[in-house]
Amino acid sequence: MTQQNMPYFEDVELGDEIGPLQKVAADGEVVEFCQLWGNPMPNRFTEAAIAAKANLPGPILPGVMSMALMAQLLTQWGGAGALKDLDLVFRQPVPHNQPLSIAATVTDTRQENGENLVECDILMTGLAGERYVGGTALLSLPTKEK
Amino acid sequence: MVMELEYDRSLYGKEHEAGPFEVTKEIIQAFSQSIGETGAVFNDESAAQTAGYRSVVAPPTLCTLYVRRVELPDINLKFGRTRFHAGQRVQAKASICAGDFLTASSHLKEVYPKTGRSGTMVFIVWETTFRNQDGEVVADVQESYAARE
Repeated sequence: MTQQNMPYFEDVELGDEIGPLQKVAADGEVVEFCQLWGNPMPNRFTEAAIAAKANLPGPILPGVMSMALMAQLLTQWGGAGALKDLDLVFRQPVPHNQPLSIAATVTDTRQENGENLVECDILMTGLAGERYVGGTALLSLPTKEK
Repeated sequence: MVMELEYDRSLYGKEHEAGPFEVTKEIIQAFSQSIGETGAVFNDESAAQTAGYRSVVAPPTLCTLYVRRVELPDINLKFGRTRFHAGQRVQAKASICAGDFLTASSHLKEVYPKTGRSGTMVFIVWETTFRNQDGEVVADVQESYAARE
């Protein structure tokens, strides 16, 4: 299962930066996501008035949608089947219609049980440096060795 | 001092199941569209098959859509006035492709307190295992909820 421009394990070093991936989650995309998710609407993810009742500054992204956006950085970099583990903490509500920057830093590389593993810290931030969602990821990459 | 938590401990060891859910090409494409995922294997069947997959591939967190289809009981935690989604973990074990049928099985993994500068919070962690139509485990998902005073 290979994709073009996929990095090899040997090319990755500690401290390498992945991304950033710039995203904006528009109102319509959040509504579309909530429809797929099956969450009854309207809700705090889609309606300003309901979000306000929950003391939120506006409608926010569901955590599972933030996670999907962050996984995208890793699949774009490592390939569709590279991501093995994504473990996130939702630190602050993520707003709609605002620039979001998703980036990761390689914190470890190792070969284990025949797999070539790359571990990263990953973070979603806002325009003013807000740290919305953070966590760690583990990817498995191909090797140049035959 | 260890904080004594009051909740329904009889829930440990009980599995709560849901499904099967058919993962259609349309669901994968709608999920990809809603997050702006343009990768060929997630959107185009021939590109996915050229890359060695059976059909269009589900982005690795797509199974999180189905976690809340499992009806989970209230653990009757006697702590906190508000609860929020604190974290989520997905461990992908195998590819999920269009045409797969997933079943979900959830159990209470742990409940624990944590004290920081803003006070004490209690975390409730549910773990859901997804299997495909062949009984193969394709993903484990952990959802954490925090209760705050």
